Amino acid sequence: MVSTIARRMGVKPGVTVSQAIGLCSPLVLLEPDPVWYDEQFARLLLALSHVSPVIEPAELGRAYVGVDGLEGLYGGPERVLAEIAAAAAEAAVAAGDLATVCSAAPAASPASAAVRLGWGRGKFTAWVAATRAKPGEFVIVADEHRLAFLAAQPVAALPLDPDTHRRLYQLGLKTLGDLTALPEAAVTSQFGRLGRLVWRLAAGLITDPVTGRETPEPITAELDFPTPIADRVILANTIDKLVERALKSPRRTGWRVHTVRARAALEQGASWLIELTLKDPSADQHRLAAPLKMRLEQAPPTGAVERLAVEFTAFAPGTSELQLFARDAQSAARAGRRKALRAAVHEIKARLKRSTLYHVIEVHPWSRLPERRYALIDYEP
Amino acid sequence: MVAPPRTPLRIDRLRALNVPRRVEVELDQRGRPRAIGDEPRQTIETVGEIWRVDDEWWRQPISRRYVEVILEGGKHAVLFEDLTTKQWWMQMP
Repeated sequence: MVSTIARRMGVKPGVTVSQAIGLCSPLVLLEPDPVWYDEQFARLLLALSHVSPVIEPAELGRAYVGVDGLEGLYGGPERVLAEIAAAAAEAAVAAGDLATVCSAAPAASPASAAVRLGWGRGKFTAWVAATRAKPGEFVIVADEHRLAFLAAQPVAALPLDPDTHRRLYQLGLKTLGDLTALPEAAVTSQFGRLGRLVWRLAAGLITDPVTGRETPEPITAELDFPTPIADRVILANTIDKLVERALKSPRRTGWRVHTVRARAALEQGASWLIELTLKDPSADQHRLAAPLKMRLEQAPPTGAVERLAVEFTAFAPGTSELQLFARDAQSAARAGRRKALRAAVHEIKARLKRSTLYHVIEVHPWSRLPERRYALIDYEP
Repeated sequence: MVAPPRTPLRIDRLRALNVPRRVEVELDQRGRPRAIGDEPRQTIETVGEIWRVDDEWWRQPISRRYVEVILEGGKHAVLFEDLTTKQWWMQMP
């Protein structure tokens, strides 16, 4: 991203650092911090989940909130909006430029200056409404005005790649109304399946609802000791192992642990329990086990332990949609990228009848002649 | 850079990277590049390292004088003069 002042001085996304400094000498370069963005977004989703059980993260910085039926709980659309804005403001203490889209009910007071809210029937209308809102404000699209609102929007609102947008402009189509004035079949024949989709979106025929995710049931990992154990070192090691085992549960995929507890069955029927709610939900073994072990030291069981269990009881969304940024999802991200790359190669070959993707390979990396160091070869995953 | 695939390498499908391209170079009195190109002309802001490569004398001799430059706007490039043909070429560093 480039700040407004830097953009005025000619700095554009994609220029090299030296070019940017050449154009704007007082330029300050800010390194991206994707993990921090991810954490802020997870916090926002968690806060929104306190308002509505139906939260759908779309991408980093964009989430849909299902609000059907919330009027009964909060007492009317304006109150619902206030709740959403307050939750977003609470979560976005430092969450710079997050945009929140609310579907099926409106948005709110500008409690958080950077959050933009849009309300409308269906995710597309809500998203377009949010993009029309100024930071900290909201745009409500009443159902009776939805078609007129959509028709007045620029085609840039459509989820298309820059090339397709350019083609639309070249055809003289500036607004969604211009697009829907054409027959659906004509747009479909020009742009294929994607054309049909965007025509139907522009015409307001698609009102896909917000799809929330079901929170997983508690995940438990436990161990029965053959003989009761009182040694705290062994108990601490066992907690480590049980946290590791619980994290591997397939039900945990895509979720971070918000509340974790350790419980023990003691000799003579007594029990022991510690419970922790993490300020920052995590899927990192050390970050989950360390506070449990600290509490074990501070308040150990009053007798020998026959059975020890670690339980994850509350979760925060965050990792499945944000695999690229999640600390614990690097391998999933790699697998996802490879899969996406394969699909892209397949698509390109189908369209162009040849591959336009290449590997860079070393030929003579130490050659004194730069053109002999590396070469391109067709990429075939 | 991507790791090479396991499939056997087909030399005939290789495409060279960073192939030099012809460029017109304006020299100063000391014979160092001052500007490149006719339209548009780009001034050279800084001349960096200069080195010479003589190689492959046993087949097609290569004799080049390389000059590392920074162009106006901050672009970093490498120019070389083919000392056998007296032509200038440009490459990425």
